[in-house]
Amino acid sequence: MILVIAEQRAGRLNRATWETLAAAQALSGASMPITVAIPGAGLTAVAQELAAAGIGNVLVAEHPALAQYTPDGWTQALQAIVTEAAPAFVLLPHTYQARDFAPMLAARLRKPLITDVVGISGTGIDARFTRPMFQGKLVAEVRPQGDGPYFITIQVGAYRADAVARGSAAAVTQVDVHIDEAAIRQKPDAPFQEAKQAVDLGQAERIVAVGRGIKSQENLPLAEALARAMGAELAASRPICDSGWLPMARQIGSSGQTVAPKLYVALGISGAIQHLVGMKGSRTIVAINKDADAPIFEVADYGIVGDLFELAPAIAAELEKS
Amino acid sequence: MTRETLDVDILIVGGGPAGLSAALRLAQLQAAGDPPLSIAVLEKAREGGAHQLSGAILDPSTLRDLIPDFQAKGAPLAAQVTDDHVYLLTERSKLPFPIIPAPLRNHGNYIISLNRFTQWLTQQVEAEGIDIFSGFAGQDVLMDGARVIGVRTGDRGIDRHGQPKPTFEAGVDVQAKVTIFCDGVRGNLTKELLRRLELGRGRQPEQFAVGLKELWEVPADRLAAGTVIHTLGYPLRHEEFGGAFIYAMPGGQLSVGFVVGLDYRDPLFDPHMAFNRFKQHPFVAGLLAGGQMVRYGAKALPEGGWNTIPQTYMDGGLIAGDAGGFLNSMRLKGIHLAMRTGMLAAETAFEAVRRGDTSQAALSGYQRRIDASAVREELYPVRSVHQAFSKGLIPGLLLSGAALVTRGAVLDDLPGHAGHDQMRTLAWYYGIDKAAAGASNATTIDRRLTFDKVTNVHFSGTAHDEDQPPHLLVETDVCSTICGPEYGHPCVRFCPANVYEIQHDAAGTPHLQINASNCVHCKTCDIMDPYQAITWVPPEGGGGPQYNGM
Repeated sequence: MILVIAEQRAGRLNRATWETLAAAQALSGASMPITVAIPGAGLTAVAQELAAAGIGNVLVAEHPALAQYTPDGWTQALQAIVTEAAPAFVLLPHTYQARDFAPMLAARLRKPLITDVVGISGTGIDARFTRPMFQGKLVAEVRPQGDGPYFITIQVGAYRADAVARGSAAAVTQVDVHIDEAAIRQKPDAPFQEAKQAVDLGQAERIVAVGRGIKSQENLPLAEALARAMGAELAASRPICDSGWLPMARQIGSSGQTVAPKLYVALGISGAIQHLVGMKGSRTIVAINKDADAPIFEVADYGIVGDLFELAPAIAAELEKS
Repeated sequence: MTRETLDVDILIVGGGPAGLSAALRLAQLQAAGDPPLSIAVLEKAREGGAHQLSGAILDPSTLRDLIPDFQAKGAPLAAQVTDDHVYLLTERSKLPFPIIPAPLRNHGNYIISLNRFTQWLTQQVEAEGIDIFSGFAGQDVLMDGARVIGVRTGDRGIDRHGQPKPTFEAGVDVQAKVTIFCDGVRGNLTKELLRRLELGRGRQPEQFAVGLKELWEVPADRLAAGTVIHTLGYPLRHEEFGGAFIYAMPGGQLSVGFVVGLDYRDPLFDPHMAFNRFKQHPFVAGLLAGGQMVRYGAKALPEGGWNTIPQTYMDGGLIAGDAGGFLNSMRLKGIHLAMRTGMLAAETAFEAVRRGDTSQAALSGYQRRIDASAVREELYPVRSVHQAFSKGLIPGLLLSGAALVTRGAVLDDLPGHAGHDQMRTLAWYYGIDKAAAGASNATTIDRRLTFDKVTNVHFSGTAHDEDQPPHLLVETDVCSTICGPEYGHPCVRFCPANVYEIQHDAAGTPHLQINASNCVHCKTCDIMDPYQAITWVPPEGGGGPQYNGM
């Protein structure tokens, strides 16, 4: 059995959960049943959403002490569930939250943990997992050793959320959760957003990214207008964030975020390899650059050799019309 | 702020060949009995060997003395040298040297990856129970008057504005009876000691070169493992000192590198471009055809020789390895000398701590040990070779040949000059008001055979926490004022990692942008900047290149 740990916040599923379910289906190859476990509080709607997708039984670990995420709380709840269910694999999305508690959970159970998985070859117990090393320069193929369950975290964007094969509605089971609240060492404050415009680019379906070709901070509104017209998030290559024109949270590349949106528009980005490793997994890449030899065109699906100061406003205007 | 302190008998700063050989020698000396000494090794890389870059050919003489059963212990020696070739390159062809000069004969030596070799040495040291603190850089020397009492490690968790982050951890004061500085070429702590204690007094200025290296994977039958090729000449001009190497390892791995003296005159010269041009030479391009570059790195090396080595002992301190300039630039070898000086420093420190006297007088025995060892025997006769090459390639070859034949008698103490003083202004070099456009030796970049610096940096595996203060301290006033007209911002060219970029503001005034997280810790900027306005300090521990297999 493959156990997938779903991630939700305030009753909303993280998109990466669906990607992890797609990975679980690839790993199973229909040879292993899939069960979804979801810890938290106030989970009725999320559980129904997961059950309706018909991927497999849904285990709901509902407890007031899980109303807010704490690594100790999650580890306690999931340690019991994993022990009880005794799956062959436990799959988690490679999110900040999973990266926080998964190592502790695996260590408590003394089981192998393979992180940042971007591909699975083979199915079932003989599967091999690929994960990047050295900033994506090398890809290692690894296989867990020893007794399972094996913990696997799936990199965001590695599998497609819309590739999940849906079936007939599955059962929802409430799990008896015992949480020793005294053993939860973290006392979270209410969640807050660091800035009004805090952004999780990993969740964005469309991204407009600007590079040095934008020339000055005063020209940023031009890219913002295009992003607005497309319903896209604004991101940037490193020089833009280094100059402080955009916050570092919007930086794409080996020293920033790795993203894989459906549509990635690169405005005035030459495509240094450090940038490419952060976005080459995007479904469709559109590049606008003055320099026809820019390496960005080597990964672009659509390329326009031209002046972004003419093209970006023109495209935005066309989109506004429709 | 409260700082933790750690007291040890002997502190070794730097986990390279010198530092690790010192640690291992101490472990051997202790085995004789008596209460064990406490020893600590600091290493700025996240893991042992990650910042180690060299050609490299190992003369195994010191290794044999330090670890006689090195073969049985699995020392990673990639290949024994089987063939030596030396060529003088012209733009289109190559002239073989009729005889291989003795210093370049490598019979009995081994081609190694210094990264792998250092990883192995690290394991040998750890097996002796010695603590290696990797990921911790020595930030400052702790002194009591003229006495070295230890080293302060860098603070961790400081943001780019200098404010502590939630992860802040203050650096630790490691206090020691003797500190052995093995912080490598142009080590930041050794530099500080040279300044504060005037250890270079009466010596010639230090001299350096920068080496750039790529690891290539080519078809396995291209060059037999153990083949060693050195070249002189093209693409360097007579006025530039340097040359290239190609070492063949098993499995079609080629170590391809280029070394340029950091005393060139042309302010628009770019060492990285010279490396690209070297690879475009028909001979080299043929060797690399169909292959793939898999790793890149750069590192300065001390080339000045015997007369530039500073005083290496002081109250409570010793200097060993590249930090002290122990490298034979004529043989292009320093690993065995680093290991040997590390061992001699360990013996000196051990004896001093046991006797309870770690004063400068007690530690001066280090110099006597060096003078009586193979280090002096090897370095003294060739003490002026690098200085001779400052007169040009041909005089350099002739004078160094004469020095060899006469065992150093003819080529007496030639004067030397600091390399950064050799760089000429644009007006002096070009004689006109030349506007600095690009490198004078620019060539085409195809990202297959030749690479731009940014792509190369990616292949160095370099990573730093982005949210930390820049670790390159630059007096940027000169960048916006005199440097443009005088030298055309040479930092943009001599840095092999694209750390320095010039941006012009709306008024056309140049400003220096420092991409500190590209830094591969080669130290070239600290050495070569004509105004000496750049100071390299360690970034947060653990940051830097990842030289696997280099």
